[in-house]
Amino acid sequence: MAGRVVTPDSHAFPTRRYDLVKEFVTALVVMALLVVVFAAAVGSPDEKAITMKSWAANAPFDVVATATSELAGTSTTAGYGPPYNRASDGQALGPITLQKWFGVTHPVNAATDLVINPVSTLSDSATQAAVAQWKQASADQQSTWANNYANALGKVSDGDPAKVATGDYGPVPVIAAGELTLAKGGSLDGLLTTSSTFYGTDPTNALLLLADGSYMANIANAENLSGDQWGMMNESGHYPGQPWLWLYTFWYQIPPFSTSDNADVQVMALMMLLSLVFAFVPWIPGLNKIPHGLKLYRLVWRNWYAQHPEAVTATQTTPTRV
Amino acid sequence: MVSSPPLPPAIPLDAGFVHWGFVNLSVPNIIVIVAMLVVFVLALVVPFPQDRP
Repeated sequence: MAGRVVTPDSHAFPTRRYDLVKEFVTALVVMALLVVVFAAAVGSPDEKAITMKSWAANAPFDVVATATSELAGTSTTAGYGPPYNRASDGQALGPITLQKWFGVTHPVNAATDLVINPVSTLSDSATQAAVAQWKQASADQQSTWANNYANALGKVSDGDPAKVATGDYGPVPVIAAGELTLAKGGSLDGLLTTSSTFYGTDPTNALLLLADGSYMANIANAENLSGDQWGMMNESGHYPGQPWLWLYTFWYQIPPFSTSDNADVQVMALMMLLSLVFAFVPWIPGLNKIPHGLKLYRLVWRNWYAQHPEAVTATQTTPTRV
Repeated sequence: MVSSPPLPPAIPLDAGFVHWGFVNLSVPNIIVIVAMLVVFVLALVVPFPQDRP
């Protein structure tokens, strides 16, 4: 049959010896050496973790203000919603309220778990009396005391509790000072770290308290690690971070995401959609013609196209088919 | 909440950042991105090794 192209049997092609195991072992050894050398020379700095003790040493007034906000129910944790409490519905994407759907799986009472329970371990009589007075008071009374104290702290320029004007604060100043005492002594980390299994430890409460303060956020800002600083891409110190996360963190920098209360779920949904688009590019009209327009394949296979100029002419004159 | 408590004394400050509009890139990240682009271009233009007999 004239003109018919017959593909020869694969065994008819010329062959040459190739040692695949040698290539694999060589690549493994070279990459392992590179990893060791670069990890030693320019590895991640592994900064020391922020502890309650370092927080108390460097920003004691912030510890007091944060403990007060937990008692007043005005902290981020207190109003977060699921999975910690029911103070709000959490983030939503239209009718999709994922946080609410999954419910309160890790209940945290901000005032009790983050402040009262740890402080009640202090044995001095003044603190014991303050905790007892707090527990016996109504929720409204507790809120009034704590909010009064939070407002009074806010009026002091540096937040120093010693400079707060007298007022109706109930036991709140003593309890907040107790939290600072525990933090300074180094025992607050342990008191806030719970264990649900024999080996595991759960630092959720400690991290929530730390995140409710300004101290950790200020350190993150100073190192360009905050969400509105493209922080997802960055590493602390003089090290490269995760530049491949550029698109994920990009959305957080522009409206409507940068001003949205639901930015996390919106960006997650958008990235899932874009990932699907990327996976299905070959079947999406328009997008699947981009390679034909870019013609990068001509550059990759330039030797072949140099030997087959008729193929270049054919693709230039023949309408692109998919 | 206290607005700006002091930072710990030994905080390593940033490695230098390039601000361009709302874009905020660290110099180390730029180096990595440029290196990736260079490798991509090299992969396109460097000739394939010729077949050995």
